[in-house]
Amino acid sequence: MASHGVARPATIVPRTEQERIEEEREIKQYRELEDLIRSKIAERQYTVEVLELTSKLLKKNPEYYTIWNVRRRLLIYGLFSKPLDSSSHSTESQNISQTDIPTTSSAKPFSSSSISSEASSTTPQNPASQSHGKNGTTLDIIKADLDFLFPLMMKYPKCYWLWNYRLWLLQEGNQRLGAEFAQELWSRELILVGKMLVKDSRNFHGWGYRRTVVSQLESPKLNGKSMVEAEFEYTTKMIHGDKGLSNFSAWHRRSKLIPRLLDERHANDATRRKFLDDEFDLIISAMYTDSYPYAQSAWFYYQFLMTTLTDYIGHATITPNFTTLDRSEYVIRQLAILKDMLDGAEDCKWIYSALIEYTLALCQMEEREPDIDEKQDCKAWLAELRKLDPLRSGRWADLDNSLRK
Amino acid sequence: MALVSGPGRAGALPDELQLAVEAHVKYIQSLDTRRDELEYWLTEHLRLNGLYWGVTALHLLNRPDALPRTETIDFVLSCQAENGGFGAAPGHDAHLLSTVSGIQILAMVDGYEELEKRGKVVAFEGKEYKGKEVVGRYLSGLQNKETGTFAGDEWGEEDTRFLYAGLNGLNLLGLLDLVNVDLAVDYIVSCANFDGGYGVSPGAESHSGQIFTCLAALSIAKRIDTVDKDKLGQWLSERQVEQGGLNGRPEKLEDVCYSWWVASSMTMIGRLHWIDGKKLTEFILRCQDPVGGGFADRPGDMVDVFHTCFGVAGLSLLEFEGLEEVDAV
Repeated sequence: MASHGVARPATIVPRTEQERIEEEREIKQYRELEDLIRSKIAERQYTVEVLELTSKLLKKNPEYYTIWNVRRRLLIYGLFSKPLDSSSHSTESQNISQTDIPTTSSAKPFSSSSISSEASSTTPQNPASQSHGKNGTTLDIIKADLDFLFPLMMKYPKCYWLWNYRLWLLQEGNQRLGAEFAQELWSRELILVGKMLVKDSRNFHGWGYRRTVVSQLESPKLNGKSMVEAEFEYTTKMIHGDKGLSNFSAWHRRSKLIPRLLDERHANDATRRKFLDDEFDLIISAMYTDSYPYAQSAWFYYQFLMTTLTDYIGHATITPNFTTLDRSEYVIRQLAILKDMLDGAEDCKWIYSALIEYTLALCQMEEREPDIDEKQDCKAWLAELRKLDPLRSGRWADLDNSLRK
Repeated sequence: MALVSGPGRAGALPDELQLAVEAHVKYIQSLDTRRDELEYWLTEHLRLNGLYWGVTALHLLNRPDALPRTETIDFVLSCQAENGGFGAAPGHDAHLLSTVSGIQILAMVDGYEELEKRGKVVAFEGKEYKGKEVVGRYLSGLQNKETGTFAGDEWGEEDTRFLYAGLNGLNLLGLLDLVNVDLAVDYIVSCANFDGGYGVSPGAESHSGQIFTCLAALSIAKRIDTVDKDKLGQWLSERQVEQGGLNGRPEKLEDVCYSWWVASSMTMIGRLHWIDGKKLTEFILRCQDPVGGGFADRPGDMVDVFHTCFGVAGLSLLEFEGLEEVDAV
């Protein structure tokens, strides 16, 4: 794999003869294991023993996607208790061509048209699988496999194939188990992903996985109901956690939940206005007290709130029934708050940049040109920006040009 | 091509600002000779992708002949699976990403003719096809006909990375009409966030890697007009940190590969001048190992071919002297 953040000592010591021999032995073992799995699969031995061989290999190399696929086939053709009726993996797949891949649902795996070499021809049920013919077994197998994955995921939290395989397992559970059992599995996942996000609160695999788990738990097929309140609470908790203000992932998630949250609360105009006020208070007081107004994550969330006022057409909104006058008033109030914030934070480029952006946005909302004072202010703020933030001088030059027009 | 990292270590000297072309060429050439290292075998699942990164870096370094053309083509063709797609190595399952790497390599070394002659003959909907058409149909079969996005393989993982890679591969094959491009564009638009960026799917956090894939897909579809360029340009420009490098998301560490994902994105929306190109160039050069060759994610870390490709591509985008000009898409 591409190495990220792996430091290397200043001098490279060549391997000793003993180390070389040891590495050679490891290579030999690894390749023999690989060959063994391939030959077992070629013989269509879809057994627990072969499953264990893949576990052994995948622990050494969780990135080996072909072996994850082998594992899927082992389960589908050998170990799960019975083939599916609706999208039978083992009987219908044989003559389906590539272009018949069902793409009707993004959530549904494409497994019914597995056309890779192992799966494309007849796949007789292995005798070993007969002993797994009871209904409970599929659940046990899925649970055992999820348990197998967990330590690997803690060790390799950025490995796409692990997350991907895990989702596939759960989707199989949806298709093969009763809603009650599937629901139980997905509920466990919410706890798991919570742990993953404690370990790394910015892992985007984790946040994406959380969205999927929640949408599954909310889905009618699992007799689910909305979790938007609980999820919103979760983002609040994350934001108030360690380095929470810098957790843009949590702020982002919050921005996506709010419109739905308010709809589901059947919030009236007054409640919505109050909600917006509270969110502004949250972010502004966080900027003042939590650390300082230099964390860019907080400023992007601030941008989100402002966008609901200044650029609401086609975007998420919190207060859809605001009049233009309401919107202007809010922006004017925020401009005053930003100016206050400068006191003691004169070296914070974010404040200057926000002041310019929303002064210009206000003019646009009121369908007028900036007046002389506004122009003067913007020029003064821009001069500060150029001093404080020379890395982006090209951007400030463009802004300067647009102010001169 | 192996992804074995090291043995080199990225630049120790802060003022070392020469591009060590010869060292990088040798480093890339050496990668396939490291079969006595365990990591060579542990990275086999990325062999074809690795070869693409190596070949690309060599082309940008103006040394396209540094790897033998015939062997390169032979290796690519040996990775083709029965379903027409390419796996990462012979005997590995086909996947969209390795398939597109295969196409990209063949396009670079002028290998389409060999694909026509020696590629697998595969039947789709009862009709047999060969050469480019086979690969194109493998890719088009991975498009989700309802939403427009793409899956990585038959198991169904979807991601805007795959959408871009799919369109890119089909475009290079001249077979873009096999898929529904408009639907793919609608999907990307549905991934846009309030900050102007894009994530892996609708609702996902903006991420520079996904922004690159979405902008590149929109460029191929000639629909870059759907982008909020100023807003996205602001967000992207804030990826540059004091050290000159670029990060992938707010308040994350900088990394050489984002020199490509971010800078090419900025190029596609005409905002590359919104960051400090000189400081970025210096950062990239500090990430190279001037003796052993190769680039690392950050100064002092282990080098690998992935970061070597994107480091060189970043320099090329910044019009570093002596490099071939790279296409941002």
